[in-house]
Amino acid sequence: MVYPTHHKRIVEDLMGGKFILSNEDHYNSLKENDKFYQEFFKLSFDLELVIKPEFSYLLSKESQENFSRDVSIFVAILCYELDKDGQNFMEMLDYHEFNYEEIDRYFENSSFIDLIENNKTLKDQDSRRTLINGMARRNIVHKSFEDRFVFTQAHRVFIEFAKELAMRKMAVSQPETRAEN
Amino acid sequence: MIKAEPRTILNFLHTYFDVVRDLFEFQSHDGLISKEAFEMIVKKHGQQNIVGKLKEYRIVRNIGSDYEMRDVYFKMMEFLLFEFKPLLPETIEKYKGAISELYMKIRLGENHDREILQERIKNISHQIREFVDLVERNAFRLLSETRDLKSNIERVEYRDKVHKASFWIEYYILPLNKILDVNHSESVTNKLVEVSEYANRKRLDFGDETIRTEFEKLYIQLIQTNQDLLRQSKILTNELLPLLERIRTESLILTGFIEFLRHPYRTQTPPLLKGSRTMVYSKDMLFKVKEFFEQFENQESVYYEESDAQFDKWIFDRDLFKTQLNAELPVKDFFGWCSQMLLKEFPNIETEKFFAITGLLFDEDLNVEFPKKDERTIIETLNSRINLPKIKIETPAKL
Repeated sequence: MVYPTHHKRIVEDLMGGKFILSNEDHYNSLKENDKFYQEFFKLSFDLELVIKPEFSYLLSKESQENFSRDVSIFVAILCYELDKDGQNFMEMLDYHEFNYEEIDRYFENSSFIDLIENNKTLKDQDSRRTLINGMARRNIVHKSFEDRFVFTQAHRVFIEFAKELAMRKMAVSQPETRAEN
Repeated sequence: MIKAEPRTILNFLHTYFDVVRDLFEFQSHDGLISKEAFEMIVKKHGQQNIVGKLKEYRIVRNIGSDYEMRDVYFKMMEFLLFEFKPLLPETIEKYKGAISELYMKIRLGENHDREILQERIKNISHQIREFVDLVERNAFRLLSETRDLKSNIERVEYRDKVHKASFWIEYYILPLNKILDVNHSESVTNKLVEVSEYANRKRLDFGDETIRTEFEKLYIQLIQTNQDLLRQSKILTNELLPLLERIRTESLILTGFIEFLRHPYRTQTPPLLKGSRTMVYSKDMLFKVKEFFEQFENQESVYYEESDAQFDKWIFDRDLFKTQLNAELPVKDFFGWCSQMLLKEFPNIETEKFFAITGLLFDEDLNVEFPKKDERTIIETLNSRINLPKIKIETPAKL
């Protein structure tokens, strides 16, 4: 049997919890063999493969994954603080190069300080660097220098997550409002 | 009928502008000026004596016991203060009916009465002017409202921002855009293009010169109008709509994040796969380490009693013994010498002490000589009998 090109890299990256980005060589091979890989991961590991126009990743069966939670909290606080600072956070996540100092400033002056101090991946500068390195390993951010990074398109998973959460919340609260009226 | 001179009325407005502005603002907000509000505003400025003049100059009129600012003054204040209330597009769309009606009558009455034709052309021009004016004011107001929403001066909650942005888009921007869309056959702009083409033809070939001049004026007005409308349409589609869409999306995302941050450990986050790393050590290492440590978890208590027995705290003093050895060199039987040294101090020889002294043998300064024959010496310690070779320590050779 002939496997698609970059097969080993595709499987290794995805199984390592990495996002494969559309600008990477093996993304095209993955996309071209969409059906094969969907079946491959389902039959081999019982995992669901998500292929979006900008990135691809595997869905976990485990709902209590700490890494995803920590990144979600990180992105949520960052977006909130950027907006509070008068920045267009969506543009910032798309194009801005963040540096550690900037991140520390936002987190140290955040009103979510209780949550930050009680989270071992966010509580201080070192732990935040470890989290960012973890995000870099998974292709959620790209480290341009030792202390600088940009978000990759993979951050959209967390943006979509927030959108869906808001819509669910609003859908629930609307009938309540109507009932009150 | 107003008896006063126009200049007198303008002077009055100039002098009492603050009162008139407050009345205007109240009416903009509430639609009417209640009797109490009217009295309160006039009293606030200490100008109770001007009530009569306000009515005489027809600035306000009574609506039952309440008041209303007359339309002409209201519009003038709107214009002066640049505070236009956005109109629902259906209000603006009525101009389509008026313009279409007049246009049809102009076409059908081309060969009838000249005067009425001239009046109709003037009227259609007036309607067009009013329409453009309203569109401009509406676009300006919507832009200003949207910018306020973006900067969020009023500290509107993100969820309310989503609703507000959706409301502006659904009820104001999209319908207004439809009115201005020249490619839409039902739009007012499309109708104006049709009128413009007609006016262009008639300004050239209409028989009567006066009417030709009227068509000429209408045509020039329409060229400008179409340019203005195109500009407004561009503002709506290129600036206003994307800005509102962004406010809506941004606010939606922030609403979601804030909701998540309220209960970050109770909300299910995106199900990302936990990366599996290849370890250089065994896969069950973790369990083995756990097992190893678990054995210490439930340790039984151990008790011990202190013994009264005396124990020897003898510590081997290497320097002392070495000095003594050097002093007695040459020594024919090193191990025998060790046992003698111990017997000088103790009644018996303990094996540990004996071996401690024999450690001197490794001293590099000593000139050790091993026996050529099998000469042995036997040392008896408290618990052993040790058979050892006779080792000779010579005096070091003098340089």
